[in-house]
Amino acid sequence: MAHWLMLSLVAMVLWGIVGLLQKVTTNRISADAVLIWDRIGYVVILPLLVIHTHLTNLGPKDMIIGTLDGITNSLGALFLYMSLESGAKASIAVPLTALYPLLTVLLAVALLGERVSPLHWVGIILAVVAAVLMSLETPAKTEAAVELPRAA
Amino acid sequence: MEKLKLFPKWLIYAIIALLWWGIFGFLGKVGSDRISPSQMQIFFTLGMVPVALVCAFRIKFRIATDKLGVGYSLLMGIIAALGSLAFFAAMKSGKASLIAPATSLYPALTVILAVVILKEKLNKVQLFGLFLALVAIVILSM
Repeated sequence: MAHWLMLSLVAMVLWGIVGLLQKVTTNRISADAVLIWDRIGYVVILPLLVIHTHLTNLGPKDMIIGTLDGITNSLGALFLYMSLESGAKASIAVPLTALYPLLTVLLAVALLGERVSPLHWVGIILAVVAAVLMSLETPAKTEAAVELPRAA
Repeated sequence: MEKLKLFPKWLIYAIIALLWWGIFGFLGKVGSDRISPSQMQIFFTLGMVPVALVCAFRIKFRIATDKLGVGYSLLMGIIAALGSLAFFAAMKSGKASLIAPATSLYPALTVILAVVILKEKLNKVQLFGLFLALVAIVILSM
C-alpha cells in the first residue's frame, strides 16, 4: 500500500473516532465550549511534540504557513457554529461544508501544478458525494448533536 | 412572516466555513512539503489558540462544567491532533488532490462506530454513502 494512503487511513480512523466523540460532547456542552476544550486537547500534547522536534531549521515563512493552517482550520469550525446559530439546519449546513476537499483539489491543481488523471477525478467526485451523503443524518433527535467536519 | 432571502446568513457562514477548510487542506500540503509533520503540528496548534480565545470571549469564558462533556472534548482534541499529525505526514508523501478527498471520508468510520457503539441506525442514504466511500478509496488508491 502506498505510504500516503496508509497515513490517510490512519487520519481517517482517528478523525472518525473524533466524529463519534463529537456526537457525545455536543449533546452535553455548547459547541463553543467543545471547540475550546478540544483545542486545549491539542495544546496538551504540544510539550511532547516540542521536546522531540528540532525547530532550528525553520524560516519565518514555514512558521507562518503552519500557523495559518491552524487558524484556517479553527475558523472553519467557528463559521460552521455561527451558521448553525444563525438558523442553519445541521442536516443541510454540515453536508454542505463536506464539499471542502474540492476546493483543496482545485487549489492544488491550480497553484501547485498537481496533475489529476480522469480516473482520479472520478474518485474525487465520488469521495465528495460520499462524504455529503454520509453526513445526511435523518433529522431525528436533537439538532445539537452535530457532527462537524474535522478537516477538521 | 419571515422574509425569504436568497443568501441567508447561515448559508453565507456555511460557505465561508467550507472555504476556510479548503484553504486549510491546501496550506497543509504547502507546509508539509517544506517542514516535518511534527513541526507542522506545533505551528498548527499555535494557530488554533487565537480562534479558541475568540470562542471563549463569545461565551464570556463560561466554558462548561459538565465533567463528561469536558473530558470527552479534551480526548477528542488529543485524538484529532494525532489525526492531523498523520494528515501532515500523508501530505508530505503524496498529492493533496488525493489525500484531501481520501481523508475527508472519515465520516465512514464515525457512521460505523455510531452503529456499533451508540446503536444508532443508518438510513439508506448514509448506507449508500458508505458504499460510495469504499469505491472512492479504491479508485483514489489506483
